[in-house]
Amino acid sequence: MSELWQEAMVEAFRETTKRIALFLPKLLALLTFLILGLVAGWFIKFILLRILKAVRFDLLCERLGLAPALAKAGMKQPASHLVGRLSFWVVFLLFAFMGIDALDLPATANLMSVIIGFLPHVLAATVLLLFGLLMANFFAEAALIAAVNAQIQEARLVANLIRWGILMFTAAMVLTQLGIAKEIVVAAFSITFGGIVLALAIALGLGGRNIAREMLERRLQQKKVKEDEMSHI
Amino acid sequence: MTHETAWQQALRELGDVRKVEIIVGIPTFNNATTIEHVVKTVVAGLDKAFPHASVVIVNSDAGSRDATPEAVKQAVGERLPTVLVQHLATGLQPGPFSLHRLTESGVPGREEAFRVFFGITEELQAKACVVVDANVRSVTPDWMEFLLQPVLEKGADYVAPLFRRPRYEGSLTNSIVYPLNRALYGKRIRCQSGGGYGFSRRLASLYLSKDVWEEEAARFGIDTWLMSVAVAEGHEVCQASLGAKVHDSKLSVVDLSIVLAQAVGAVFHYMEQYQDVWEGRKGSSTVPLIGPPYEPGTETVPINVDRLVKGFRQGLRDLLSIWEIILAPETLADILPLGLVEVEEFRFPMSLWVQTVYDFALAYHEKVLHREHLLKSLTPLYLGRTASLVIETRQGGPQDVEAAIELLCETFESRKPYLIQRWRFQ
Repeated sequence: MSELWQEAMVEAFRETTKRIALFLPKLLALLTFLILGLVAGWFIKFILLRILKAVRFDLLCERLGLAPALAKAGMKQPASHLVGRLSFWVVFLLFAFMGIDALDLPATANLMSVIIGFLPHVLAATVLLLFGLLMANFFAEAALIAAVNAQIQEARLVANLIRWGILMFTAAMVLTQLGIAKEIVVAAFSITFGGIVLALAIALGLGGRNIAREMLERRLQQKKVKEDEMSHI
Repeated sequence: MTHETAWQQALRELGDVRKVEIIVGIPTFNNATTIEHVVKTVVAGLDKAFPHASVVIVNSDAGSRDATPEAVKQAVGERLPTVLVQHLATGLQPGPFSLHRLTESGVPGREEAFRVFFGITEELQAKACVVVDANVRSVTPDWMEFLLQPVLEKGADYVAPLFRRPRYEGSLTNSIVYPLNRALYGKRIRCQSGGGYGFSRRLASLYLSKDVWEEEAARFGIDTWLMSVAVAEGHEVCQASLGAKVHDSKLSVVDLSIVLAQAVGAVFHYMEQYQDVWEGRKGSSTVPLIGPPYEPGTETVPINVDRLVKGFRQGLRDLLSIWEIILAPETLADILPLGLVEVEEFRFPMSLWVQTVYDFALAYHEKVLHREHLLKSLTPLYLGRTASLVIETRQGGPQDVEAAIELLCETFESRKPYLIQRWRFQ
């Protein structure tokens, strides 16, 4: 009895030691990957910041209206810092996933291949998001200036409708690109967009029927509404 | 039709003509109602002032649908060789977000017509080129003498038109283009656009050699940059007093902000090109005047001041976030209180207006915003300044308006160091 107990104890101890001996290098690999990720992430961020500073990226973002858009979204940092931080976390997470993969856990067996397979979608979605933000800002600004110069009192409303319309469209495209609830996004977008157009049509039909008729009449009859006769140039 | 094909068409039309003294360019676009009068007056003026000169009349048409080119041919008859060129076949409607090359004359692709005139001037080694707009009803035979004589006999390179216009007409020119150009390049040219111009072959060749026909500058109004290039390059310039200007304007279909963006954009664009020139020029000098002495017009056109002030106030309310990017903080701080005063008390001080225009020029240079947006966002401020000018001078005579314009020009000149300093060190 005593021998059996002793043997069981030794066997368990040996197995545990063996498992620990097998797991320790993997843990060490994880830690190494994490440290490497920190260093590589910091290095990439440093290089990227230098390059962005050299090409006056912040000024470009300011000019394109991206910086004010980010500020409105609560991101007060310069756009270059944002890109720097993003690059750091992308690099660090890549290394971290490599470390997790090195642990060889059954639950994370295919983690790296899944992440690498998904990466093109994330990149495409990021580009789409950035492009959408720029477009929304550019067209909203253009519409605002045009509406103010035409002395339309609801200029800001027009600009905001354009901004949010483009942003909504962008969000739908980004989510579709990422494959998140594809069908729901398409349906929600169609319903919302269709709803807005229908609401506007009804509003114009009921509320602005006479104005619309007068406008069309003026345009078709080529009547000139002259507030003043001054030639500016 | 591209410039190349238009040019080949022009050469074909020239036929055996190899060398002439004068080129008369007439850009047209649906001008059937006025073209006959213009062409006959031009021919009569040439007969009177230069009876022995060899002349070619060039009509560059932008795709008229009312048989304007045929009317030109018919009006000239067999009297003079005539070249008809069709350079564009698009419509006249400007898009909402782009700077269309549409100028005061209402002729689309106007720069293409000028390019053809200058090309033929060079090709035929003409001594002078005169351009007359087809929509001007007030053209007289004397125009030919006033526009051509300085070039042919006095060595001038550029003859700018000077019209007697009703009070407040051309206020964009008088509020920005003229004072700014005068302060920059030191020549007192009123920068009135359209009507008629005279050019020497030397200047025509310079224009052709410039990188302006298809690049960024081509988006702006040609009338402004013709003058900017002539004075900046140090050519001999003068003005021809052409009397009152009565014309069929197609400008009513064009948004004011587009016209403003084109005219002011051209000046700002050349500020970058000729920085070395204008930084060194101080003060201003008069240029010779050909024809009868200049007198300001006594007529007054109806102006809705309330609407101008309303436009300014709306700009202040809705475009403040954009102006914050463009204007210096002290300029904006002085503009803000203007939104609170009553219409009759409304005043946009000259010094503040000058600082505003200089801030916009600096912002354009620094590219702090998309340039088209930047230029168009100046419109409400311009409306404010125009309203202020009208309120200040409407009780006085035409000389009071002239005095106000002169004072504004002097303010632009005296505040020039502000521009130079910030341009260099910003």
